[in-house]
Amino acid sequence: MSTIVQLQSITKVYGIGDIIVNALAGVDLTVNAGEYCSIMGASGSGKSTMMNIIGCLDRPTAGRYYLDGIEVDTLPDNELARIRNQKLGFVFQQFHLLSQLTAWENVMLPMIYAGVPVQERRDRAREALVRVGLEQRLQNKPTQLSGGQQQRVAIARAIVNRPVVLLADEPTGALDSTTTEEILDIFGELNASGMTVVMVTHEADVARRTRRVIWFKDGQVLESNLSPKDVALVNAG
Amino acid sequence: MDWLESGNMAVKTLTSNKLRTGLTMLGMIIGNASVIAMIGIGQGAQKLASEQFESLGPNVLFVTPGSPGARQRTTFLPRNLVWDDAKAIAAQVPSVASVAPQRQSQFSVTYGGKNRTTLVMGTTPEFLIVRDFDVAKGRFINNVDLERNTRVAILGSEVAEQFFEGKDPIGSKIRIRNTSFEVVGVLQAKGSFLGSNQDDAVYVPLTTTATLLTGRTSPFGLDLSFISVSAVNEASIPAAEFQITNLIRRRHKIITEDDFTVQTQKDILRIVGTITGGLTALLAAIAAVSLLVGGIGIMNIMLVSVSERTQEIGLRKAIGASEQDILMQFMIEAVMLSAAGGIIGTGVGIGGILLVAAFSPLQAVVSPVAITLAVTVSGTIGLVFGVFPARQAARLDPIVALRSA
Ligand SMILES: Nc1ncnc2c1ncn2[C@@H]1O[C@H](COP(=O)(O)OP(=O)(O)O)[C@@H](O)[C@H]1O
Ligand SMILES: [Mg+2]
Repeated sequence: MSTIVQLQSITKVYGIGDIIVNALAGVDLTVNAGEYCSIMGASGSGKSTMMNIIGCLDRPTAGRYYLDGIEVDTLPDNELARIRNQKLGFVFQQFHLLSQLTAWENVMLPMIYAGVPVQERRDRAREALVRVGLEQRLQNKPTQLSGGQQQRVAIARAIVNRPVVLLADEPTGALDSTTTEEILDIFGELNASGMTVVMVTHEADVARRTRRVIWFKDGQVLESNLSPKDVALVNAG
Repeated sequence: MDWLESGNMAVKTLTSNKLRTGLTMLGMIIGNASVIAMIGIGQGAQKLASEQFESLGPNVLFVTPGSPGARQRTTFLPRNLVWDDAKAIAAQVPSVASVAPQRQSQFSVTYGGKNRTTLVMGTTPEFLIVRDFDVAKGRFINNVDLERNTRVAILGSEVAEQFFEGKDPIGSKIRIRNTSFEVVGVLQAKGSFLGSNQDDAVYVPLTTTATLLTGRTSPFGLDLSFISVSAVNEASIPAAEFQITNLIRRRHKIITEDDFTVQTQKDILRIVGTITGGLTALLAAIAAVSLLVGGIGIMNIMLVSVSERTQEIGLRKAIGASEQDILMQFMIEAVMLSAAGGIIGTGVGIGGILLVAAFSPLQAVVSPVAITLAVTVSGTIGLVFGVFPARQAARLDPIVALRSA
C-alpha cells in the first residue's frame, strides 16, 4: 500500500508581534492510498493549519512533507500551484464557488489551469457533476442552488483533476443534518471507488462515517489511529 | 492557461457586473471621444482654411511691407510699400495679369442712427478682378473716382444688410469717420477668409482714402497695406514672385535685408497650417489628459475589484492558478476595459465630428491615424494602469485570501 501523505516533525509558528503561536508543534503523520480519515480535536488545536499544509496552501515553519513521493515543502510557489492543481482536491466549509459562473463552468475551472482541451474539459466536468448527482443542474449559477447542491459542485470541482487525495475542512459545517448525510454518502462512494479522503470535523456523527480518526490537541497528534467507534465513546465520556 | 481562456474569463467577469464595467469604461470613452473629436475638428479647421484660401483664385500673390524677419519680430509694420510700387508691378512685370493696391483701416461707419466699426478698404477697379469679387448692385470704383477723389462707397454685403436691412442702399449717404460718402454699389457675398469676414467691409477709392481718411504717411508716395497681384496663370506664379521681388528691390534700393515680402498662396497655406497644426496639437494634448484620467479611473476600479475579489483569487490559487495566471487575468480585464472604452469612445468621437460638421462650416475629417493612436494608447494605458492592481492580486496568499470572508 503506497503512502500518499507523509509528514515529519511539521511545525507551524505564527508570530503576531511579540506573541508567538505554535499552531503545530511537531506533527508526524502518514496517510496511505485509499484511506478515509477524519481529523478531530478542540477548536484551535491546529486542524485547519494542518489541512492547509497538507493541501499545499501554506508552508510549514519546519519539518518535511512528502506528497505522493514528492518533497513539497521546498518547492517554489509556481510548482506548488501545479501540485494543488494536479494532485490535490480541496473542499471548503464555505463552498467557495465563483458566483458569476455556472455549476458546469465552476467544475471546469481547475482543468482550465491544467490546460485540458475544451471538449475534454466539458465532458469530464459533466461526468464529475453526474458523480455527485447534479446532472440536472449544469447550467445553474451558485445562487440558484441549495447549500448541499453547492457543496456537491465544490466536490465535483475538487475531484475533476483526479487528485491523489481529497481534502475537506469541515465540509458539512454549514449544512443541516439531512444534507450532511447526503454529502457524506458522496465522500463514502468516492472513497469506495479508491479515492483517499482526509476530512476535518468536530462532529462525532460525521467522524463515525470515516474509517480512521486522527485526534489533535495543542498542535500535536494525540492519537493517530482511533477507530471511529472509540470516538463515540470519547465524546460520551 | 492560454490567452483565449483568459480573455473568456475576463469577458465573463466584466459582463457579470455591467454597471461597474460601464462606469469604468466611461473615463476611457470620454478620453478617446475627446481625442478623436479634437483632432478631427482641428484638422477640419485646417482643411477649411486651405479651401477658403483656394477660393481666392489659385493665382494670387500678396506683396506686404516688412521683411520676413521683421514680420516675425514685430506686429508694427514699416510703411514703405507705395502705390507707385503697385503701378510699377503692373507696368513692368510681364507674368502679372492684374494688380490691386490696397490700403485698409478700421473706421467707425454710421448710417441713420446706426454705428458700426468696420474695415474700410481703399483700392482700385482692379480689386474686383484680382480678388474675384462680383458687384451685386450698382457699380464698383472706377478710374474717374481715383482721378477725382470722389466720396463714393461700395458696401460689402453684410454692411449693406446691417445698415439697410433689404432696402436699396444705392444713392444713400453714409458717414465714414465723419465724412459723408455716397453709396454707389453693393458687392456680392463672398464669405469669410481665414476667420475675417470679407463681406463686413466698405470699399472706397484708394485716392480718397489717402486724402480724406488716412492721409499720406510716406515720403515715397501713397502708402499701402498690401498689394494683391494676380499672375497670368498658375505656372507663372514662381516667375511673378521672382520678378516682383527683383523689381521692388530695385525700386527700394535694397542692399541687405528686404523691406517687403512676396507671399504666394503656398506660403500663406504653410503659415495657416502652422497655426491650425498648433491648435490641433493643443486640443489633442488637452484630450490626452482626459485619457490619462480615464486610465487612473481604471486603476482605481481594478484596485477595488482586487480587494473585493480576494476570496475569488484565493480560490483560484487553491485550485491551481499560478501567480502568472492571476496576473494575466487581471491585466486582460484592465486592457479589455480600456480598449473597449477606446473603441466605443472612438465611435462617440466620430459621431461628435459628424455632428460638428453638420452644424458648422467645418468639414468632417476622420483621421485613421488618430483612431489607431487612440485605441493603441488606451490599450497601453490599461496595461500600464492595470499592472499595479494585477500584481496586488497575483501576490495574494491563497489561505489569507480564502479566509477573508
Ligand atoms: N494566520 C494566523 N495567524 C496567527 N495565528 C493563527 C493563524 N491561523 C491560525 N492561528 C492560530 O493557530 C492555532 C490553530 O488554529 P487552527 O488550525 O485554525 O485550529 P482549528 O482548525 O483546529 O480550530 C489557533 O490558536 C489559531 O488562533
Ligand atoms: Mg478550523
